[in-house]
Amino acid sequence: MSNTIEAEGLVKRYGDKTALDGVDLEARAGSVLGVLGPNGAGKTTAVRILATLVSPDGGSARVGGHDVTKEPAKVRELIGLTGQYASVDEKLTGRQNLVMIGRLLGMDRTAARARAADLLGRFGLGDAADRAAQTYSGGMRRRLDLAVSLVGEPSIIFMDEPTTGLDPQVRAELWAVLREQIARGATVLLTTQYLEEADQLADEIVLIDRGKVSARGTPDELKARAGDRRLEIRPEHDAEKAGRILAEVTGLRPHHGENGVISVPVLDPALPPAALRRLDDAGIVLTEHALRRPTLDEAFLALVAAPADGSPERPAGRPVERPSA
Amino acid sequence: MTSRNTFAQGMTLTWRSLVPLRNQPGELIQLLLQPIFMIVIFVVVFGAMSGDQGGAVQRLLPGVLTQVALTQTITTGMRLAEDIGNGVFDRFRSMPIARSAPLMGRILADTATMTLTIAVALLVGAAVGFRIRTSPLEALGGVALLLTFTLSLGWVSAWLGLRARSAASMQGMATAVLLPLTFGSTALIPAANLPGVLRWWANLNPVSHLADSLRALLTGGPVGAHVWITLGWCTAIAACFVPLAVRTYARRIR
Repeated sequence: MSNTIEAEGLVKRYGDKTALDGVDLEARAGSVLGVLGPNGAGKTTAVRILATLVSPDGGSARVGGHDVTKEPAKVRELIGLTGQYASVDEKLTGRQNLVMIGRLLGMDRTAARARAADLLGRFGLGDAADRAAQTYSGGMRRRLDLAVSLVGEPSIIFMDEPTTGLDPQVRAELWAVLREQIARGATVLLTTQYLEEADQLADEIVLIDRGKVSARGTPDELKARAGDRRLEIRPEHDAEKAGRILAEVTGLRPHHGENGVISVPVLDPALPPAALRRLDDAGIVLTEHALRRPTLDEAFLALVAAPADGSPERPAGRPVERPSA
Repeated sequence: MTSRNTFAQGMTLTWRSLVPLRNQPGELIQLLLQPIFMIVIFVVVFGAMSGDQGGAVQRLLPGVLTQVALTQTITTGMRLAEDIGNGVFDRFRSMPIARSAPLMGRILADTATMTLTIAVALLVGAAVGFRIRTSPLEALGGVALLLTFTLSLGWVSAWLGLRARSAASMQGMATAVLLPLTFGSTALIPAANLPGVLRWWANLNPVSHLADSLRALLTGGPVGAHVWITLGWCTAIAACFVPLAVRTYARRIR
């Protein structure tokens, strides 16, 4: 059986709010698909449809080759679900949570206990195994949640924002655990608000914004398109000439925004000083200049605004070096 | 999905609901504190005020027992609302298990804790002087009647819990339903001592019939038609709310 995830044209409405407005997703067997987007973009709704928790108002989806609305029971045999909305029973200990899931999946008591002990050890929860989950820290709880979703050794795993709200160190710990699962060969659909997380873990990324796919590609492709920093200047005069200088220095076509701000993606850290020097040499006075790392929102905007052929706005000339990932 | 699997899954989820009582002393104490508290307040304090401690204990304990048991039916809906609210329910829904297992586990676990509560209330009652004056069969019949009634109310609670936005709002709604039932009844005060409208309501109230049945079955005296009326109410409530709860549940777990 192929452990693929495929969705076409998913639509979901809640009242007059459209959570998903025609989303296509595809994850190859054994790959990690990162679904990236801000809060409220529709990521969780997509996962809930794929995990058979809600039915779509339009479109169709197949998980492991089974249609999620027509054969939900078959889909449930294959999947593990973890993340912000699927949770552990806080009144049970870590071990009891794992044993319960094993028993529900039809293991006998001995097998369920053995599996629980194995997972507790692997997820570094051995010391806390017999404490109620409500006493766990945020990071421990997410690890337990992940362990619980893996009791049945699912071949397809949905991780819905597995690290949202965790501090960076705990997040890095969790990434190590996630990588192990990925190495096991499972197909993973991971949703996240963090560009960096998708970059670290995903083979391919789909950007969702307001219920629509705004971009898709490998992490490197997307980063190249977004540019990881932007140089913004506001010349007092000669805006056109300033723009030309920026284009010459960076090899990219600058964007003339409102309030006379001209900005350009900066793919090479040596370029901004060079650009500022050239502007100064040309006698152009800047009322403002700044080097800004795009926020996730800006990355979205850049990607949405990018031309359909997917290449950055690049005039003929020297090739632009990509930032090393 | 075979029915044997369904049963095994239901039992696992029953275990899951009961095991916190063993895990955490706080949970068990909370469960047992309510009957103890209510008995001390109503039976001992009111008894002392009336001057006739022994008679008051015999008269009041079956009523307090009714009240304690009825209040505990809120648990069913609250726990369901909690499971829905914190995502545990979604975890079960994403798994290849019988759709009925989570509800079955909930109802079985709550029936078990209800039995425990009634037993504890009778023991505490015995400690403050309550004596069962009827045959063991009648006394058991009384307890069985109370369990049957709370089981049928458990479905009302489940229905409210499955519809509620949160466990807290479920608790609010359930309390609003329960207060007129428990306090507007003859559980603690004979109908003759109640003023006009309240007396009319208390005579109509199924909880009055339940409390009067329980009093007669535990302490003696004429049972009259109370048992049959109570059983009639159990049937009517169950006939209404089992389908309602199951339908709401089916919509939520689909």
